[in-house]
Amino acid sequence: MAAIRNQIRELRALREMTQQELADKIGVTRQTVIAMEQDKYSPSLETAFKVAIVLDVSLEQCFQYDPRGKR
Amino acid sequence: MLTGLSYREKILYASLAAELVVYCPYFFLHQQNSVNKVASMIVAIIVLQIILQSVIAAVTRYRVTDERDRLIELRGYRAGYLALASLMVLGLGMLWFHATVGHLRLDSKMVGLHFLSVFFGMLIIADITKTVT
Repeated sequence: MAAIRNQIRELRALREMTQQELADKIGVTRQTVIAMEQDKYSPSLETAFKVAIVLDVSLEQCFQYDPRGKR
Repeated sequence: MLTGLSYREKILYASLAAELVVYCPYFFLHQQNSVNKVASMIVAIIVLQIILQSVIAAVTRYRVTDERDRLIELRGYRAGYLALASLMVLGLGMLWFHATVGHLRLDSKMVGLHFLSVFFGMLIIADITKTVT
């Protein structure tokens, strides 16, 4: 399990936002959003903040750190 | 399959494909090296890369490169550089070995071309390492 996990998929679904829409709003590619949702890529702090702002949640609601997870 | 790839990944695969298309006939079909063949191979790679990258740029809607693309590229270049550096030492060592123990005469005119062939071979292995990493 990844060290940094996130709720992007669930939060995005609640807002009926597509992966491409989220990607455009945070300035990344759709492939990056897919990788983040599958916990295959941990974004930079700047991108993490942008995701939280676009999804209108706090950073902790969107991203969680698991110290036992693999990095 | 290609639609799932980012712009950067498509460019990397295209670059590798161009090199394979040009290098394979060079290594497997031309047994006798010459300066003209090496020069035409370099020109062919450049032309093929320009054509492939233009086609990819034209058909790709989103040409954004982001932090993940840069990270992928950095990791690829690091692995490619390590592969190239290690193989270069190995290749030069083999040339030296053939020149001292074997029958390769280092004063021969073909040594430069032998060196170029070794260098191109390592370049393509380094590029494969870069792309698959």
